[in-house]
Formats: sequence, structure tokens, C-alpha cells
Amino acid sequence: MTAALVLSLMLMQDPDLQKVQELQQKLRAVVEKVSPAYVFFGNGSGVCISSDGWALTNFHVSGDRQGQRVRMPGGKQFLADIVGFDPLGDISLCKLREAKDLPFCELGDSDALQVGQHVIAVGNPFLLGNGSWEPTITFGIVSALHRYMDNPGYFDAIQTDAQINPGNSGGPLITMDGKVVGINGRIDIKRFMNRVNTGIGYAIPSRQIQRYMDAFKRGGRVFEGFIDGIQIGECGDGRYDNVGEYGDGVFVARVDAETPAGKAGFEPGDIIFEAEGYRITNANRFHGVVSNWPEGVSIRVKVRRKAEEKELKVFLGDPAKILERKRAMEATELGFAQGPGLQLGAIQPGGPAAKAGLKAGDVLTHVDGRRVGSWTEFRALLRPNAELLLTVTRDGKDVELTLKVPRPKTDE
Amino acid sequence: MNLLLAFLLAASGDDPFAPVLAKLRETASKSVVAIDVERDSDPDGITGSGAVAQHRDYYNRPKGPTSGVIYEADGFILTSRFNVSGGIRKNGLKVTLWDGRQLAGELLGTDEQRDIALVKIDATALPVLAHADMSAVGQGSFLALIGRSPERSHPTINLGILSATSRMNKAAVQTDAEMNYGNAGGALITLKGELVGIACNIKPDTVWGQSGGVGFACKLAEIDKLLPRLKKGEKIEAEKRPFLGIRAGEGNPDVEGIQIAEVMKDSPAEKAGIKKEDVLVELGGVKITDSESLKEALEPRKIGDEVELKVMRKEKAGWKEKAFKLKLEGKAEP
Repeated sequence: MTAALVLSLMLMQDPDLQKVQELQQKLRAVVEKVSPAYVFFGNGSGVCISSDGWALTNFHVSGDRQGQRVRMPGGKQFLADIVGFDPLGDISLCKLREAKDLPFCELGDSDALQVGQHVIAVGNPFLLGNGSWEPTITFGIVSALHRYMDNPGYFDAIQTDAQINPGNSGGPLITMDGKVVGINGRIDIKRFMNRVNTGIGYAIPSRQIQRYMDAFKRGGRVFEGFIDGIQIGECGDGRYDNVGEYGDGVFVARVDAETPAGKAGFEPGDIIFEAEGYRITNANRFHGVVSNWPEGVSIRVKVRRKAEEKELKVFLGDPAKILERKRAMEATELGFAQGPGLQLGAIQPGGPAAKAGLKAGDVLTHVDGRRVGSWTEFRALLRPNAELLLTVTRDGKDVELTLKVPRPKTDE
Repeated sequence: MNLLLAFLLAASGDDPFAPVLAKLRETASKSVVAIDVERDSDPDGITGSGAVAQHRDYYNRPKGPTSGVIYEADGFILTSRFNVSGGIRKNGLKVTLWDGRQLAGELLGTDEQRDIALVKIDATALPVLAHADMSAVGQGSFLALIGRSPERSHPTINLGILSATSRMNKAAVQTDAEMNYGNAGGALITLKGELVGIACNIKPDTVWGQSGGVGFACKLAEIDKLLPRLKKGEKIEAEKRPFLGIRAGEGNPDVEGIQIAEVMKDSPAEKAGIKKEDVLVELGGVKITDSESLKEALEPRKIGDEVELKVMRKEKAGWKEKAFKLKLEGKAEP
């Protein structure tokens, strides 16, 4: 009799509906877990990745301004400071001030992604969640991996059909186990005058972000890794002999001595086919793989040389430029806040800006007689211990002041 | 018993969605109707000029039927207001039922803000959908959107999830089921076939466009409050709010403010000389950092007020501040 009862109960339940509901239950549980970690970041999105308020967003959403007002679901406000940023790769790491015990969503392993698996995007498309501070959830699949695009450099992007739209930028792409596997940032659009999703969205993979994390936390601009001192070509290029077949990898056309490439032992004619376990099939994939690391680290690269395979260890970036930038970056403690445009915000008493006679509200126009158009341009002119002649506009008049750039905190 | 279970699961195939949706197509779709409208004039359906007019297939109301939902068994049908807006010709509103019957429809009340309209047909004992228990539906719940376009006899089903529970001043839910001119007005339902809302707010002047993964459905609780007024034939107009006529971009790395992604045609912003790519930094002395601060700055203003705006504009020599004065006009949102 019990068997009959069980049977009749089972027949009442539609097994397909039951399966769908099981998936739904899983999906809703993930949404419930990850949605509180979402960050309403200006006119875009972000995601909190630690309980003490480290958060990720796109550089094109955040810029590198300090003290931006952001909100968490429900509307609680925080001020966010941009700590490290990569304008080319379109990622910013920021820290929410006075953050404690925040809901967060940890980074997952984008290398484990499979085309076709379910993913969730959390975002604020068209700023629809402003006011109610409830983010938008969209659901889709991983459409492709390792997509390559220039400017901004989404060199190794995840492609998804989870609908992302203007306002989703900087928000997380999440797997069904509730981990952040990418930061959504870019969509392909076709419709005239309407920036609306067409089923093609791109996310920056979490593994790349993890590899940049130390550099982001050290602060300032982070540059993509590249192999300095090497010229490469596409394998199978008919203009050259002995350069393999297209798909084999990239061939080394020239190596400059006394560069990281020369020191690593690359030789002309080498075919690069792997780096850190990633297969390299062509020039785009070569850039895509290499830029998965920031400059300043070393990676293992496999080359085919005649009948041999060799593993080389190469330092990424130009060491001289890295040192120069490091010094310049450390010299940016000038004691003023950046306002809108090139306007100066609050001046720190006793700081270099205060000593130079700069006042809040001054608008910077020239450095050493050269016009500057942005804070990024301004920072590029900074050199430790340098004395810069600044021209600022104050009450409609030009004022000239001398700013002494401080000595770097550490000297190598 | 395990054997039986295995048999049942095997019978359903690998994709459990297909049979569930097929069932909804047979059952729930009977409550979804096709609506045809013949018009003498159509101010809502055709927007823009110049380049926008060249993209008519995207911006303009296409030919063909739209969708509606039988809400009460004695002939009350809900649809998107946009579907029945404009100058309807005499006897120009036709409703086609699931069984092929075509009946004359009468437009009763409309609500502009919620984009909802009530149509009456002369029929009884029509199939209505059970209402979903909204406490059991949340972000991530699977939903299906059923429309009856372009073919009246074949329902269209789109699968999606509930993206957000509270949109359009709490009147609507949001879904990523693809919503177009044809299935707007249709039924957003749970996969058990219970009605969640009436698909709406897909029209030419919305920034989210069509089938971009952002669609809305007016909540039933909201509709039930409106229903007595709609039955009386009231045409409820949207509340107008002060507007500048700009659409915000995602931000600018160099300048804090709102980077303007679009300046709307004939808007106060365009008349004042504000351009696309300008960064709005101040309104009436209030610093603008993001869309939220703009909303706060506009809050105390009234339609017709004159306000001063400051924008940063990128010129060859760098960013330059520019001041503008404009008169706020009124516009219904969205």
C-alpha cells in the first residue's frame, strides 16, 4: 500500500518541472548569496570581494578618483578610494572606507570555465536599481573563452549571453557555485543610437585579476606584462621560411640582447607555443596570455627550437621604465585632492601643495609652460625632487607657483 | 521503485525546460490573445527624424499584431498601453483568441505611467491564469513570457528569470526574457503557469530598447488597484517631472561628473547648447558626481524653473569649464 501511495505522489509531480525547480532553487540560492556583495558604483557597477571592503570595478567606471560615493544593495553608502588601476585592461581595485563585516563574493577560477555552463551577471543596467538599490540579475551561459580585443585591452575575455547593458560595467559574472569568475565590462552593439545588448557581452577573467592583485594593492597604475626585446610573427606566414603552420604558435623574428627577452635566452627562429601552461596558437593568443600577468613578474615560456623543446623564464616589462615609473608614482604624494576637471580639491595642511601656495578651487592649466589636459598627463610629468612651475587659474587670473615634488619614500 | 523513477526521468529527456515550456504553450497560452489595431494617426509609434527615421525597423512600431492577456473571464483583457495608443479607427480594434475567434475590442481605460490598457470583448467563460504567489517568486526564479505575435495562431514563448522585484516606482518587476514590440502586452508567468505580470514598457523612446535583456511587467497588485478606474474608461496620465534631456554614460576617468552619452532632440539641454561627451559637473550650485546626485539636485526644482549648469568640455587644449542656463521642461518617465 505504501508503494502505491509513493507511486501516486510521484505521478502527480511532473518530473521535468521538478528538475527545473531544482535548478531554480540553486539559482536563487546563488543570487541570494552574491547579490548583497554587489556595489552600485557611480553610473556603473562593482563587487565587494572581501569583508573589509576591497572591491573591483572597471577603470572606465571608476577612473582613479578618491572618495567616490558608492552604495551596497539596500542603499547603505560608502566612500570608495581607488587603490590600483589598469586603464588598458579596464580594471580598478578600490577600498571602501570604514568597511567592516561586509557581504562579499570571492574570486573563482576562470580557467575552469567551460563553454555552455550557466553564469549570472549582477549589475545596474540603465541605472534601473537607483532608488530601490536592488541590482539586476541576468542569466545566461559562457558563449566563448579567450576572446581578444584591442582598446581597451580585453585580451583574454569571457564572452557571455547573460544580458549585460550600459550600467552593468564593473559588475561580476558569477558561476553557479557563487564565485566571481569575471568582471563584466563591454558589449557588442549594432543598433543605431541605442547601446543595448545583442547577446554578446565580455568579462575580464578572474585569474587575470588575481595575478594583478598584488600590484593593484601596492597602488597606482598597473601596466600589462609584455616581453620586452622581442619581435614576433604569426606562424605559417608565407613571407618567411621555417616558421611552422598557422596555429603552431608565434615565431621569434628578432631578439635584442640586454633586454629581458635576450637575457631569457630567446633566439630568432624559436616558435613560442606555450606560456605558464596555456597553449599559444597565434599572435592574439600570445598577447592574451602574456598580458594575463602585470609587468614586473617572470613567467615560464615554452619554445620549439629545431627538434627541441625548451622552457625559458622571462621577466615581463622594461625594467628601466618600471623603476622610473615606480619613483614617479611614489612622488605623487603632493597633498591635495583632485577635483572636477583639473580643479584642486582639499589641500592637506603642511603638504607640498600647501607649501607651494596652492588653494582649493585653483584650476591647473600648465606645468613648466606646457598645457596639461588631465590628471594622468600631470602625473606623467612628475619626477622625484623636481621643482615644477605650475600655472593655475584663480578668480579668473593666472597664478604661477612652484611645487616641489617630494623625495620618494624608498630609494633603490 | 528506483527503476520507475529512472524511467520517468529518462522519459523527460536531458533538457527539462523543453517539455515544461511545451506544456505552457498548450495551456497558459490560451489566456494570451492577439490584438490588431488599425489607426488613423500614430504619434507614439513613429519617433525621431533624420538618422533615427532611417532605422525605422528598430525604432518604429512594426506592422502586425501585439499581445494581450485575458484577466477576467467575462472579456476583460489587459495589454500594454503602447499597443493600443494613437488614433484607433472606428471598429479598428480586433482581438483574436486562442481558438481563432476574432472579436471586436473596445478600449476602456489606460494608464500612461504604468503602460497598461484595458480592452473589453463581448465573450464569457474565457480561460484566466491563476495569480502567482509573489512571496514565492524572487530574483532568479524562472519565468516565461508568452505573446501572440507575429502569428496570431502560434504563441511565442521566451524563457528568462526574474531580474529584479521592484522597478518603475515599485509598479513592475524586471525580467531578462527577451521582450519585443510583439510580445509586450503578453503574460509573464512562472513555469507552473501562474501569472506574474503584464509585459510592458517596451516602446520606441525607452533607452533599454527591445530584446536587450531588460523588460518589465506590471505587477498584478498594481493592476488590481487600477482596475476599477480602468473599467470606468479613465485615461490616467503620467506625472511629469523636470527633465534636462540628457542620458548619462558610465563615467569619465579624468573628470568627476556625469559624462553625457546622449543629448535628446529638442530637449532643454540641446536648446542650451550642451553636447554629447560633455561632463556635467554642477547644477544650480550643487556638485554633480553621479546620476544620484543629479536626481537630488533636480528634486527641489519645478517644471519651468531656470537652472544654471556647469559642464566640462574636452577641447584641443584640454578640459574647459562651460556654463549654461536652461529652462526645465516636463516629461513623463520612463
